[in-house]
Amino acid sequence: MISKRNNILSGVARVVSMILLLVGAVLILTPLLWTISMALKPDSEIYSSNFFPKVLKWSNFPKALSSIDFFLYLKNTLVILVPNLIGTVFSSALVAYGFSRFNFKWKRGWFLILLATMMLPGQITMIPQFLIFRQMGWVNTPLPLIVPAFFGGGAFNIFLLRQYMSGIPKDFDEAARIDGAGPGRVFWKLMLPMCKPVLTAITIFTFMGVWNDFNGPLIYLYDSKKFTLSIGLSFFKGLYTSKWNLLMAATIIVMIPILILFFVAQEYIIDGISISSGTKG
Amino acid sequence: MKKNKTAQKSKRTIAQKRENRYGYAFVMPWILGLFIFTLVPMIFSAVLSVCEWDIVTGLKTIKFVGLDNFKRLTVDPDFKKSLIVTFKFCLISIPFYQIISLGIALLLNMRVKFMKSFRLIYFLPSIIPVIASTMIWTQIFGEQGLLNQALKIFGIKGPAWLNNPKTALYALIIMGVWGVGNTMIIYLSGLQGVSAELKEAAAIDGANSFVTFFKIVVPMISPTIFFNVVMAVISSFQYFTQAFVMTEGGPLKSTLFYNLYLYTTAYKNYEMGYAAALAWVMFAIIMVFTLLVIKSSSFWVYYQNDDKI
Repeated sequence: MISKRNNILSGVARVVSMILLLVGAVLILTPLLWTISMALKPDSEIYSSNFFPKVLKWSNFPKALSSIDFFLYLKNTLVILVPNLIGTVFSSALVAYGFSRFNFKWKRGWFLILLATMMLPGQITMIPQFLIFRQMGWVNTPLPLIVPAFFGGGAFNIFLLRQYMSGIPKDFDEAARIDGAGPGRVFWKLMLPMCKPVLTAITIFTFMGVWNDFNGPLIYLYDSKKFTLSIGLSFFKGLYTSKWNLLMAATIIVMIPILILFFVAQEYIIDGISISSGTKG
Repeated sequence: MKKNKTAQKSKRTIAQKRENRYGYAFVMPWILGLFIFTLVPMIFSAVLSVCEWDIVTGLKTIKFVGLDNFKRLTVDPDFKKSLIVTFKFCLISIPFYQIISLGIALLLNMRVKFMKSFRLIYFLPSIIPVIASTMIWTQIFGEQGLLNQALKIFGIKGPAWLNNPKTALYALIIMGVWGVGNTMIIYLSGLQGVSAELKEAAAIDGANSFVTFFKIVVPMISPTIFFNVVMAVISSFQYFTQAFVMTEGGPLKSTLFYNLYLYTTAYKNYEMGYAAALAWVMFAIIMVFTLLVIKSSSFWVYYQNDDKI
């Protein structure tokens, strides 16, 4: 009897939660749908109250591409993005390997400092860094947004990789060492391939971080010829205040690479976020 | 014997030297970065915070002013306003977002059909670039925007949400709900760690689902709640892009977030010394709140293995 009642109850609960989830999903997706429909509206319909445009104006997209100077901004973004990916992946792996495999003097102390830097808000170092880069003549170039990635690639990435490497049995290294491989070779031929899952996750998160970065380019890039996509989009907003169809078309264009990345690598992204809370918390 | 021992010892020191050499070689990029991009700037920032310096005139005009920058904070109305705005945002948004994201996570955890698709949909907005979501919501909150058109159906004439000092901050809070997917995913992974046996045992003992939730599920996921609350406090103090692009702190400074004020002081007014002081105060506030949450956690956070942070 009891189990039957429980079954009915849990059945009801499931239907109710299904309905709630559906309502929520509609609420979540409406802004995106609205964005798409807005991007396809002709100028005359921008302020009309119909949700979907009467005429689909696909030409808004090429028009947005040319008026936002998209390809220039894309190039500027890639000039920052590609070196960041390379620098972050390699330097964080190098450092993590050092921390996980060698018992050097004061290792514990250094590692504690590494953990402490994760808690430090970027605002403390932001202003002096800016002043230093300014003194070096690097302001209004992409260098301040590229070079730091080659110096360890972020404390959190190092931490994540070190944890992963520490889980790989040392027998592998020993075997390679007996075969005459030095630490450099062990790192290159053994560690990097074995860390592929974490390195993939780090690559994805770095990609998203650089693509979405707004503060960095805002502080360091003045010249509109040097803008990245994110900063270019906000600049474009200032120029075309009421052209919402073009603005939304441009917004969609900027979003597309991230959306593609998300659908291709969703498991990595979702797992990565769960892991980050597990290790930090 | 003795000789043997020293030989062993020297062998050990050789081995240790090797460890040192390779260890430092591999971590060197990070150590260099630590000095160049963190430690030196931190010292520089501490020095700046007790100096007055207008960046336009160059390094020569830097002037020691003692604690003047910190004294100025106590009489600066904009500093006060930015603190009020940020705290108000924290107080409303943090409980609101936590309840919503935990609620969605609980629903998703009921093993409903299409769970993976739902998870994807709810998570989707939080991967959208901030600048893109900011553009979308600027349009939604406009006088003729989606929100007001929806309200018109019910005969309500909505304001231009972002141009009204009474509604602008709330508009930003509502917008934030769209991005709770990140927090939701963390709750979901926490919930999946709660053992089904424990819940079943409670059910057999006659506990209804409310009792099970508050007496078993909440204590079990309390470390996750703790993590999310700490992260939310930190990110509220770093809130920037949305306020910068959508409202520029206005109207009437009703959305003058702390980090936005810091940015304006440094890069619009070029008062680097005062801005450095603002950054250190922000650091102190974040530290105090994080410690408060950690301290209070011993009352409400339950660790399964009893190993506290």
